[in-house]
Amino acid sequence: MCKCRVLEGAGSFRPAELSRLSQKEREEHIRLSCQVQVRRDLAIAIPDDLMRIRDYQAEVTLISDLTHDIKLVRLAMIDPEEILFNPGQYIKLETKPYGNVRLKVMRAYSIASPSSETKSLDLMIRLVPDGICTTWVHRHLEQGERVRFIGPMGDFGLHEGEGEIVLVAGGSGMAPMVSLLAEFQEKKIRRKVTYFFGALARRDLFYLDEMRAFEKEITDFRFVPTLSSPAPDDAWRGETGLITVPLKTYLEKESRATAQGYLCGSPGMIQACIQVMNACGIGEDRIFFDPFS
Amino acid sequence: MKLTPGEQKIQGNFLPGAITRDGFLGSDSRHIHDIVLEDGRTLERLGLNTGEIADRLKFFMDEGKKGLEAPVVSGTFTVQVEWHKGSLPCPFGEGGLHQKIMARLCSNQTGKCIRFSQMNIHLIREHGFFEGKGSPLRLDPEDLAAFLGL
Repeated sequence: MCKCRVLEGAGSFRPAELSRLSQKEREEHIRLSCQVQVRRDLAIAIPDDLMRIRDYQAEVTLISDLTHDIKLVRLAMIDPEEILFNPGQYIKLETKPYGNVRLKVMRAYSIASPSSETKSLDLMIRLVPDGICTTWVHRHLEQGERVRFIGPMGDFGLHEGEGEIVLVAGGSGMAPMVSLLAEFQEKKIRRKVTYFFGALARRDLFYLDEMRAFEKEITDFRFVPTLSSPAPDDAWRGETGLITVPLKTYLEKESRATAQGYLCGSPGMIQACIQVMNACGIGEDRIFFDPFS
Repeated sequence: MKLTPGEQKIQGNFLPGAITRDGFLGSDSRHIHDIVLEDGRTLERLGLNTGEIADRLKFFMDEGKKGLEAPVVSGTFTVQVEWHKGSLPCPFGEGGLHQKIMARLCSNQTGKCIRFSQMNIHLIREHGFFEGKGSPLRLDPEDLAAFLGL
């Protein structure tokens, strides 16, 4: 939604705002910018994060296959030489013309590297059938090439709290979770963290070594890969079924009164997981998500 | 046919690289209106309308979404849905965005499969547009109706 903080001059709340803004948001002068009529000067609070958005030139230093349809792309900053971002944020990558595609487009990808690494960043890009940008990345982009992007953007990220953290992702939704986990590791966050990652079959799993390394280095972290359709020769002994199955089994074991949920994936997966989390005591105010929409 | 600037802009949306990599026309050189008219005549001959086709595709899309990317058996069909990041505008330019969702629908009886997108459902329902011949996501109305058992 087009929420923004208007400190002065916005007038009274309109009906469409009253139904979409909480009491707390109204007290904090949050408004829907699509509803506010500009009839005099307005005083608008611009978040610091917005002021950090820049236009970047970078060099592709690595393109490698994570799975049959997801690539890892590493970009080294050229100008500016550094990027500051919060774990969970994304950038917008600009394509170059190729084949029949004459126009440039920009597409959003979550950053999959630690925020302490300011000289480069990683992206995880899944091939979209007939996709302009992902086809360019998967079939045309080469190491050594210079690219343009803008960012960082987005407000998905770690929220204050004391309780356990439950992460859920699927496919390239892994990206912001890697950045968050790196933050937990570096800042030695002492909260219990459990990460449910959904995939179809073993060929769709990736970053397993990295997750095992996080399990050793983060005080109380467990990674739970789950396959919904393991292939016969996968010899899979881990969790099976839709991601909601192990999530529900796990959450039902004890009270989750202070737990927070962080989700990244398709809106369908997010909706299904929110229902499970709600039913198991994690309220909507403690669930944060980054949908593929 | 002479096009107004507005029509030229809309026509451009259907070309490769404007909204999708391959566009919506394939190798079809006919004007969009002619493609819609001819497919509409085919539907009329079959005694069907675009709403019935779109409803059936939407039913399978919704069934597939329940699988969170895993295959879902629905009657004599199996449907698998891939939900990708981002959304696309309709090439007809009437506003609104459509999520990048692809479905693969297979008949368990014949083994035949089709692919369609969330955008296909919108284009058929709202514009009677099944895409041009040779387009990767062209759904020939006669073949589609037979496949769906309509």
